[in-house]
Amino acid sequence: MSTAAALSNPVSSAWRRIPGAWRQPLTLIGLVVVAAWLVVAALSPWIAPYDPLAQSPHLYQAPSSAHLLGTDELGRDVFSRVLWGARISIPLAMLLVVLAFLIGGTLGGLAGYLGGWVEELVMRGADFVFAVPTILLAMAVVAALGPGLFHAVLAVVLVSWPGHARVVRGLVRTIMQSEYVAVGRLLGSPTYRALAVDVLPNIAGPVSVLAALETGNAILLLSALSFLGLGARPPDPEWGSMVSTGAQHFEAWWIGVFPGIAIVSIVLAFNFLGDSLRDAFDPKTIIKARGA
Amino acid sequence: MFLCLGVSVMAFVLTTLVPGDPALANLGDRASSDPQAVRLYREHFGLDKPVPVQYVVYLNNLLHGDLGESEQSRRAVRIDLAEYIPATAELAVSSMVLSILLGVTLGVVAALRRNRLTDQIIRVVSLGGMSTPQFWLALVALYVFFFKLNWVPGSGRLDAIVLPPPHLTGLYTIDALAAGQFDVFFNSLQHLILPACVLAAFNMGLFTRFTRSAVLEVLENDYVRTARAKGLPELTVVFRHVLRAASPPIVTVVGLAFGNVMTGTVLVENIFAWPGIGQYSYRSATGLDLTAIVGVMLFVAIVYILVNMVVDILYAVIDPRVGLA
Repeated sequence: MSTAAALSNPVSSAWRRIPGAWRQPLTLIGLVVVAAWLVVAALSPWIAPYDPLAQSPHLYQAPSSAHLLGTDELGRDVFSRVLWGARISIPLAMLLVVLAFLIGGTLGGLAGYLGGWVEELVMRGADFVFAVPTILLAMAVVAALGPGLFHAVLAVVLVSWPGHARVVRGLVRTIMQSEYVAVGRLLGSPTYRALAVDVLPNIAGPVSVLAALETGNAILLLSALSFLGLGARPPDPEWGSMVSTGAQHFEAWWIGVFPGIAIVSIVLAFNFLGDSLRDAFDPKTIIKARGA
Repeated sequence: MFLCLGVSVMAFVLTTLVPGDPALANLGDRASSDPQAVRLYREHFGLDKPVPVQYVVYLNNLLHGDLGESEQSRRAVRIDLAEYIPATAELAVSSMVLSILLGVTLGVVAALRRNRLTDQIIRVVSLGGMSTPQFWLALVALYVFFFKLNWVPGSGRLDAIVLPPPHLTGLYTIDALAAGQFDVFFNSLQHLILPACVLAAFNMGLFTRFTRSAVLEVLENDYVRTARAKGLPELTVVFRHVLRAASPPIVTVVGLAFGNVMTGTVLVENIFAWPGIGQYSYRSATGLDLTAIVGVMLFVAIVYILVNMVVDILYAVIDPRVGLA
């Protein structure tokens, strides 16, 4: 490996690998499905054929041309409810990933940059959260604050910040110790420049992978809490609580099956994206690409 | 040790923040309108004392192995846990075994067939396992295999008419085998198989992904090329050279995945009416039973720490370069 290569900022090569990742068919499928759900979430009031809360005398109707995915125990149109469900799950999942990143990223960045007791405190805190299974902790939080979608979001933020903190801390530490930062310092450039030019762009890649994976996990966890009756409350067309309703009406399988398929499709799409982004940003593949 | 203390503090603080009054939640309507009953209830559970005092009392009891008394079952949390743990252990261990076997096999195959069709199919299957909500998968499995096909019995650990085997470990399959009751063994196995498979799906996917990338890394080493050049059979190369070198990251992720299993049991046990700590903790959470939740959290955290200690020891066994510092 040449000296120039060793001292150059690895981020540029990572970004250059992204177009390669897009050529993977699964990445493309993931992107299309996520985009489709975003459109559905934005336009559901206009594309849903029925009011998601409107009850009708047509109870337990199997899927037909009038009701594409059938009707539930109160005669509500399952298709419309699934479409409206995107409006609840997707924005909330994204909101909580952003919140978890802001909290975890800040704490992890401080831990990695400052070291010492700050690092000790943050990382031990993260260990606590890791040691208790996510749903147990989230359940305790929701039980403490009372059930409700907002409290469920808070609970999921509380259990997911440590993932971000660990990643960001590790990255900040590695980058601050790397040769190109040291060279920059020797040349007299200020710390904030090292942070802005070397650290931030290098964090962006792994963090975007984590965000994609976490959005999927956030949707799973949120819907699980709603399924247990600790998140969204019954009339809301939330996917997890719709599955829970379906569980009480086994004969009418369509009530619970379709919201579940909605969850699988969006989470799978996020995981397709995350998986191929990970390949693109894996530092080992990057080093290999540079012939080390 | 430090971690245990931290978990106990966190769990305790969390559950004392309850705005809902546990006395009112557990006494029922008539009793909670009686101030005398509410006062007696609070005194009985020490809820009338200031919060720091409550914690010190709790911690002191904890050091004597006493997790306190559940406000719902009116029994020591320790006794409750002892009753529910074997059921969860049976479920969790069998699902772990399943997911490790499947995940590692699929991961190795995917790595050997990198970027071919097999790899893509395994990618879809493994990511699918990680993307499917366990509560939904459990319901669909129950609908298909129990309700429609009637291949497996519905919920619980045994058919209602079957008596549990004599208590030895609390794991019905093992107890039944030890007692020579093969009918009970097969019955408990039939009850176990569906929830265990559902529970295994997520970790199967996780292990597949990790095994694939770990194996890919090892495959590029010169000694693998040498082994192949020597004309060793592919299976020998995979098992003797590749899998051993690839195992440290896999073992690590298995240790960490223990938390996923516990998360899954809460959902799966509720759906399959499996009388384990997952169901117990859900009932405790909805009943605002703080002592019970803290007890479960503490127990799970201790097991998690133990599991990951075992992982560290395994590390040293697998990789001679790692010392047992």
